Amino acid sequence: MAATPTPLEVRNIKKRFGDTEVLKGLSLQAQKGDVITLIGASGSGKSTFLRCMNLLEQPDDGDLIVHGEPIRFKTTKHGREPEDWKQVVQMRAKLSMVFQSFNLWAHMTLLENIIEAPIHVLKKPKKEALEHAHALLDRVGLSARANAYPAQMSGGQQQRGAIARALAMDPEVMLFDEPTSALDPELVGDVLKVMHGLAEEGRTMVVVTHEMSFARDVSSQVIYLHQGLVAEAGPPDQVLGNPQSPRLQQFLAPKY
Amino acid sequence: MIDLQGYGPRLLEGAGVTVQLAVLSLILAIILGLLTASAKMSRSWLLKRTATVYTTLIRGVPDLVLMMLLFFGGQIGVNAISDMLYYNYEIDIYINFNAFAAGVLTIGFIFGAYMGETFRGAFMAVDNGQIEAGKAYGMSSGLVFRRIRFPQMMRHALPGLSNNWMVLLKTTALVSVIGLTDMVRVAAEASRATHEPFTFLIPVAVAYLLIASVSEWIFARLQKRYDIGFGGQ
Repeated sequence: MAATPTPLEVRNIKKRFGDTEVLKGLSLQAQKGDVITLIGASGSGKSTFLRCMNLLEQPDDGDLIVHGEPIRFKTTKHGREPEDWKQVVQMRAKLSMVFQSFNLWAHMTLLENIIEAPIHVLKKPKKEALEHAHALLDRVGLSARANAYPAQMSGGQQQRGAIARALAMDPEVMLFDEPTSALDPELVGDVLKVMHGLAEEGRTMVVVTHEMSFARDVSSQVIYLHQGLVAEAGPPDQVLGNPQSPRLQQFLAPKY
Repeated sequence: MIDLQGYGPRLLEGAGVTVQLAVLSLILAIILGLLTASAKMSRSWLLKRTATVYTTLIRGVPDLVLMMLLFFGGQIGVNAISDMLYYNYEIDIYINFNAFAAGVLTIGFIFGAYMGETFRGAFMAVDNGQIEAGKAYGMSSGLVFRRIRFPQMMRHALPGLSNNWMVLLKTTALVSVIGLTDMVRVAAEASRATHEPFTFLIPVAVAYLLIASVSEWIFARLQKRYDIGFGGQ
């Protein structure tokens, strides 16, 4: 019945760092157009969970299925590892990540950052990549900064640039790892505005965030993590509007 | 003007040997240095161990001793091989272990160990987020190396690299002991023959200084190039 495969599905992801089990079996399914927000206190495992989705962290257990294709794992003396790194590389090209600390490549201009992976990973012709890049820069309001280096840009500009870099890959799913947490408060709005726009045009997104208003306004699903487990999950009205556990109620309560 | 008493062309030739030797040794040292740094940062116990033994050995033994060991040892090794070929297969070849090659190999080998440390520190100075971004965008590890790690590492490696190069340049003066006629050897011969050491040694000193100044200029340019984007001074 499903004509297109599910863009991203993870099942029963487990991860431990030394003696601490940070993820105790987490699952998530992102259908096309879904915006899933992961919320939770620091240390609840939400960023680690997101990083397991593109294998920047290697989960100790669980399945990862991208666009219907399961990633194959093997067990080595270093632990569980992907069987075929080529498959991982191809998988990652379908998922773009936006980082908390932007991670634009410092030795390249903004424009070079945006065309880098399309040219070298997707093997797009340079002309086409440049056209796309200029359109994206226009969209995030940074046309004037195309030739600036990341160090010359404000945090908000860097993050919008990083979103343009992510979009340049035409990703199946976009992964956002606390995209506004490193920004000055007055710069958060511009970044959120861009993300709102992406949600509206039907991009599939998984977002780790502390921005409850964003979670409320644009999510199709909110997942509240606590100590490496899903404590509550569902549509935002339910999870944020009517939290069941005292812990989530306390988490959502205004702090001051 | 100094009268070089007919030694001018030979001195110039010697200077050519010095420069060629230094540049080729540098290239070999950079390759060995990158390999050593990668080995030291790898997960393999064997690679790490090998790299550590290599750097410890090189740093603990005088350059001159290493050079003679490699040159004489190399000739003995080559002789043994040609003897073996002659007695077993009646293949009669005589290979002369080339002094120039021995010089390049030894100096490259010595400085590869120092470069290894320089590169390792430089690689570790690259922000991990930069590398993660590469991985997250579907770059293979080779591509991450070529497009991100290497260009960002160079900024940190260049000061050490240029320092190693200056020492390497002066170390080439040792090759006269294995029979290579670099400019120091020519100058020494000329001094002995004419009893006018300063006539030859001062031009040689000036030549070294000149090479050093040109290299400093090149390194400054490179540093500028690799500092782009990092808001350098």
